[in-house]
Amino acid sequence: MRVFARQASHHTDPVYGNWDSCDPRMTSDANKLLTGLVHEQVSLELRPVDLCFVAALYLQADRTSAPSFDSETLVDVYEQVCDIADPGAENPRKRATNAIERLRKQRLLVRIDGSGVVSAGEFSLSKLGIAIVDFFLAEDMLTRESLTVLTRSLIVQLVQVRTDARKANTDDDWRTRVATPLRVAVSELIGGIERRQRGMDAQQAEIRQSISQQLEQDWFLAVDRCENLLEQTASTLRELNEILLRDTQEFHAVLQDLQQLATVAGAMDTVDAIQRVGDQIDRIVAWGSTRHKAWTDYYQYVARYVRDVIRLDPDRALSQRLRDYLAKWPDAPYGLLVLGEPSHLGVREVDPRFEKPPVFQPLVERDVEPDEVAAHDELDALRMRVEAAIGAGESRLSSLTCGLLIDVEPARKYLTMGRIAQLAAPFADGAEPERPWVVVSDLVEIEEWHLTSKRSG
Amino acid sequence: MSVDLVTLEDVISHDLFPEVDAALRRGRHIDRSDDAWYYFLTESQGHLEAFYRRYGCEFVGRSDGFFFLVSTTGLLGKRMLSAGEMVVGQALALLYLSPSSVQQAGLISREQLLSHLTGILTLPTLIRVLTPQRRRVDERVAEQEVRDKVMTAARRLAALGFVDLVGEQIRLRAPLARFIDPVRSAMGTLEESLTKLIANNQASMAASDAETETAAEEEP
Repeated sequence: MRVFARQASHHTDPVYGNWDSCDPRMTSDANKLLTGLVHEQVSLELRPVDLCFVAALYLQADRTSAPSFDSETLVDVYEQVCDIADPGAENPRKRATNAIERLRKQRLLVRIDGSGVVSAGEFSLSKLGIAIVDFFLAEDMLTRESLTVLTRSLIVQLVQVRTDARKANTDDDWRTRVATPLRVAVSELIGGIERRQRGMDAQQAEIRQSISQQLEQDWFLAVDRCENLLEQTASTLRELNEILLRDTQEFHAVLQDLQQLATVAGAMDTVDAIQRVGDQIDRIVAWGSTRHKAWTDYYQYVARYVRDVIRLDPDRALSQRLRDYLAKWPDAPYGLLVLGEPSHLGVREVDPRFEKPPVFQPLVERDVEPDEVAAHDELDALRMRVEAAIGAGESRLSSLTCGLLIDVEPARKYLTMGRIAQLAAPFADGAEPERPWVVVSDLVEIEEWHLTSKRSG
Repeated sequence: MSVDLVTLEDVISHDLFPEVDAALRRGRHIDRSDDAWYYFLTESQGHLEAFYRRYGCEFVGRSDGFFFLVSTTGLLGKRMLSAGEMVVGQALALLYLSPSSVQQAGLISREQLLSHLTGILTLPTLIRVLTPQRRRVDERVAEQEVRDKVMTAARRLAALGFVDLVGEQIRLRAPLARFIDPVRSAMGTLEESLTKLIANNQASMAASDAETETAAEEEP
């Protein structure tokens, strides 16, 4: 549970605000609810035919005033729905059985007879099923109402609440006569306005699509019809304008009065409710102004289109000629001319020109005879050093080798050791009975020779 | 004429004049969607015609709702739109005429423009028009290059006021009607219309694709 609370702390709900600020009891309930939903793997998956089936059952119950259905009625209703939603479907009875099973699993349809599985059952729509159909019916009904009527009703309601607020004396008066009507009745009306907004959006989308289709099909002949449809847009615009210019000012004036009264009376609960209603009204106004601009732009665009394009090209030949020209793009096409100031380049400072002196160098004799230089003989040099060392009294090969290897680069040490041995060999005492092995470097051991200054044989 | 703009001095000393004048001299077309600029030009049209005549320019106010300058003497620089800009401009003009663009009030997506173009001109023709210097064509690379060139052309047309770029979408504007001018007359031939436009300094015949494209590439 704590995990959910931590995750939810960063989430801001559009309706209830930040969950952090919620009543801890509410957070706990939400945790329980969500955990339960996850645990039970609750999901809803309704095909159009299933939704139609639920709606048909709702209307049937409404018409016959009988809230429950026997199995046979369910199958009959499904078959009727199938004729409309999926005509030509094979084996509708089997489909009906499957659909009933699906709805029962999703708790849209419940068995209410309490009998076992053997006897034929009695079914009814669940609260969830009824709510789904209610939602669609409510959308359908409310979108037909005038937005102006709804906003006027809201103002009347708010004025009534203000009158009650002026008479309120006790906390109970504020709660029952002001805060509760604001939360329930006013919120209900605002919900209605928001549904009407969605309806107007849908209506506009339909009008746009219809105008486009009619022009596509009938071109010049569709102009009158399009102008009628544009008139509908104009009436929508008028309705919106009325709200924007008149009603919103009234909303805010009444709400401001209410807020002052509640603040003076110290009814902070009511102040919160007023604040929430104010936010909702701001949302309505913001929606209104964006739609007003979008629809004005659309109205002007279509009016211009009719005037500049359709009326000037009633047989739609212009498009065809332009398309033909574009399709066979010529090798040397024409180009439109437009004004274009030459670009200003970032010009840098230029140094004055100066004559560079010619390049020359003194004449020299290039064919010079090479000097004769004695070749550097490494072996001779080593020989001299070996003989000098032995002459100076060096009597052991190992110390002679170590002494001469000091300034030799590592890669040549092994070769040099051999050469030292070769050069020192004439000075070695050949009468030694045994020559021990001595380490001269990490990797090499050599025989220890006794050297004398006198060259042998 | 408005009371504020009685004389040429009123027009020139108006707050909007410097930026409108600079825009017109950059080749910008001004239409109703420019709101204040458009209404300023509408109010001062008579004065500005005489004013720009002194610069060797014709100040054109079209009945389909836009203004622009045409250089008649070359005192102010002029340039011809590149082949790429012309192809894209004509495709946009076709979309402007099409009722399909009405639903979104002249707002089209870049993909719509590309598919419209490739629907009229084949991809090889588009590649030839938009990348005339390319001799060997790798279709995959060329397709991306065509896409880039089309968008570059759209940006340049936007700078001239033929369209607006709105995020990933393109808003079609009334000045696109200039691309329709050569085919506007039902009576005369295309050549006659072009001759008239050329005589009015509103169009010119391209020397060759490569030359035009090179000239356009050099534009800043």
